[in-house]
Amino acid sequence: MLEINNLKSRIGDTEILRGLSLTINAGEVHAIMGPNGSGKSTLAQVIAGHSDYVVTGGEVNYMGNDLLDLEPEERAREGIFLGFQYPVEIPGVNNAYLLKAAVNAKRKHQGLDEVDAFEFLKCAREKMAALGMDSKFLNRGVNEGFSGGEKKRNEILQMAMLEPRLAILDETDSGLDIDALKAVATGVNNLRAADRAIVLVTHYQRLLDYIEPDFVHVLSEGKIVRSGDKTLALKLEEKGYDWVREAASA
Amino acid sequence: MKRVALSIDELRKAVLRLPEGALTAIRAAALANLDEHGLPTVRHEDWKYTNLDAAIDISNRWLSAGATLASKDSLGESIEAIISSVDANWLVIANGQVDMTYFAETRGIEVVRFSESAAPFVMDRPLADLNAALLHDGLRIRIDAATEKPLGLLVIDESNAGAAVSQASVEIVVGPGCDAEIIEHQSSAGKDDHYGNSVVALQVGQAAMVNYVRIQDRHIGHVQTGRLSVSMGKDSRLKMASYDLGGRLVRNDIDIELGEPGSEITFDGLYLVSDGQHIDNHTRVDHRVGPASSSQEYRGILNGRCRAVWNGKAIVHKGADGTDANQANHNLLLSDNAEIDAKPELEIYADDVKCSHGTTVGQLDESALYYLRTRGLDKRQATQLLTHAFAADLIGRAPVAAAVDAIQSLVEARLADLLQEPAS
Ligand SMILES: Nc1ncnc2c1ncn2[C@@H]1O[C@H](COP(=O)(O)OP(=O)(O)O)[C@@H](O)[C@H]1O
Ligand SMILES: [Mg+2]
Repeated sequence: MLEINNLKSRIGDTEILRGLSLTINAGEVHAIMGPNGSGKSTLAQVIAGHSDYVVTGGEVNYMGNDLLDLEPEERAREGIFLGFQYPVEIPGVNNAYLLKAAVNAKRKHQGLDEVDAFEFLKCAREKMAALGMDSKFLNRGVNEGFSGGEKKRNEILQMAMLEPRLAILDETDSGLDIDALKAVATGVNNLRAADRAIVLVTHYQRLLDYIEPDFVHVLSEGKIVRSGDKTLALKLEEKGYDWVREAASA
Repeated sequence: MKRVALSIDELRKAVLRLPEGALTAIRAAALANLDEHGLPTVRHEDWKYTNLDAAIDISNRWLSAGATLASKDSLGESIEAIISSVDANWLVIANGQVDMTYFAETRGIEVVRFSESAAPFVMDRPLADLNAALLHDGLRIRIDAATEKPLGLLVIDESNAGAAVSQASVEIVVGPGCDAEIIEHQSSAGKDDHYGNSVVALQVGQAAMVNYVRIQDRHIGHVQTGRLSVSMGKDSRLKMASYDLGGRLVRNDIDIELGEPGSEITFDGLYLVSDGQHIDNHTRVDHRVGPASSSQEYRGILNGRCRAVWNGKAIVHKGADGTDANQANHNLLLSDNAEIDAKPELEIYADDVKCSHGTTVGQLDESALYYLRTRGLDKRQATQLLTHAFAADLIGRAPVAAAVDAIQSLVEARLADLLQEPAS
C-alpha cells in the first residue's frame, strides 16, 4: 500500500529524515517508535502533505501512485488519515460541520452522494458513545478548548467516520489516562481490517499493550535503525533508546 | 488628483426648488453653513483616508441634470423583498421620501414627519448641513413602550438616471425605562451612481434599554456617508451591531455621548470589503461621567483591491472616574492588494479608569488551513470555512433576534461573493 524509499526531508535548513525506507501492506499494523526529535512526526507530516517539510530525496508510493505529487486534500480523499500529535484548534468552525464536510469530500471523490444528515448524526453519536465522548462535542468549535485527551478522542472520531485506508496516528496515546487510552485502542482495533493499514507513532510501548502491532520500527536521527515484531517494543522498554542508538552506530 | 468642489450655486438652485414648508428655513440656514465651511477634505485629520470626491462628483452631475428626486413608486418590489425577510414594523425612506405604507400604527410608537413639524436641527457638521439643505422629509420617532415587533427603518434608493443623490434624516427618542429593538437597513436598487447621506440621532432615556442592528448592503455604484449620534441617559443600555456589506465608498461616523452615570454600551461591527470598495468606520465615545462602560469590537474581511479604515476614539473626560472603555479591531486580509488603516485612539483625562485596546491584521491561520485540508477539504472550502468562522462570532452578536436570519444569509451571500475574487 505504502512504499517509502530512501526518503530525505528537511524543514528550513535542518535535514530531518535522512534516507528512510519503509513498506506497509494492507492489513498490517505498524508501530514506529523512537526518541523525541528523531523525526516521527516529520515522517507523518510528509505523508500527509505538509508543505513546510521539503522532500529533498527518495520516493513515496501509495496505491501504485507517486504520493508526493498530491495535495494534502487529495491524499485525504484517497484514504490517508493523519491523527495529529497536536490537533489544531479552530474556533468558530463547528465540529459536526467539519466531520460532515470531510466525509462528503471523500464521498464526492468516490462518486457517491452526500451523506444523509440524519444517518450521519446517528452514526457520529454512536461512535462518540463508544469513545466515551459526550455528543455535545459535536456542537463545539473544532478542538476549541478541548483538553488534551478530548482532542485525541476527537481525532479518533474523525478517523472512525472517515474509515481511511491508511491511518497514521501520531502519539495519539500521549497525555491520555488509562480509560481514554483503552477507548482509543478500542476505536483503533475496531478499524483493523484486511484492506486497511494502521501506523502507530508512539514514544512509549504502553499503547502496544492494547493494540498489538505486526511490526515495530525504531526511528533514530531520521532513519529506521531497527525493525522487528512486537517483542522489539518490549526490549526497547527494557533497555531504553540508548541501546538502539548504540546498535545503530555500531 | 484634481480637486473637485461641490457646486454651491447649483445646490442653491436645487434647494430653492424644493417644496415650501416646515423645512424651508432650516434648509436656508444649512445651505449658508455649508457655503461657509465646505465639505471635509483629506486635510482634515478625521478624513485623512477618505476622499469625498466621488460623492461630490455624483452630486454635481445630479445637480446639473436638474436635481430631481426619482419617484419612490418603482421601489415597491425591492422594499417588499427586504421587509418580508425580517418581521418588523417598517418605516421606509425611499429615494429620500418618507413612505409610511408599510408601517402599522402601534401603541407605544409615535411618528412625526419633519415636513409636518420640523423641530430645530443640530447642524454642527458639513455633512449634516448638506443633509438638512436637501432634505425632503424626515422622521421623528418616539418609543415609549415595548412593542411586539422591532421597529424597522429602511433607507433605500434607486438610481437609474446616471447619478442621483438622496438624504435620510431620522431622530429616535426612547423614553425612560423603555425597552426598544431597532433594525436599520440601508440598501439599493438600480445600478447607476448614487450618493446617500444619512443622519440618525438616537436618544436613549433613563434606564432604557435599546438593541440596535444596522445593515448596509448598498450596491457597488453607491457612495455613502452617514452619521449616527447617540446620547445615553442615566443607567441606560445600548447593544448595537453594524454590518457593512456593500457600497463603493462608505464612511460611517458613530458618536456616542455618555453624559450620565450608569450607562453601558456595546457596539460591534463587521465589514466585508472587496474589489473597488472603500469602507471607513470612525467611532467616537465621549465618557463625560462615570461609572459607565463602553465596549466595541469591529472585524473586517478584505479581499481584492480595496481599503478599509477603522478609527476608534474613546475620550475619558476629566472626572469621568469609574470608566471602563474597551476597543478591539481585527482584520483578515486575504489579498496583498487589500489595505487597512486601523487606529485606536484613547484620550484619558480621569484617574480611576480601565481602558484597553487592541488591533490585529492578519491572514488565515496556515496551520488551521492545513488541518482542514488533511481532512479532505480543498483550499477553497477551507478558506471559506475559516473566513466564515472569523465572521460568525459577530453574526452571533446581532442583538435583535428577528434580524439574525436575514443577517446570516446576507453575510453568507456576500462572503461567497467576496471569496470568488482571485487571490492575489
Ligand atoms: N517546524 C520546525 N522547525 C524547525 N525544526 C523542526 C520543526 N519541526 C520539527 N523540527 C525538528 O525536527 C526534528 C524532528 O522533529 P519531529 O519529527 O517532531 O520529531 P519526533 O516526532 O520524533 O519527536 C527535531 O529536531 C525538531 O526540533
Ligand atoms: Mg512527534
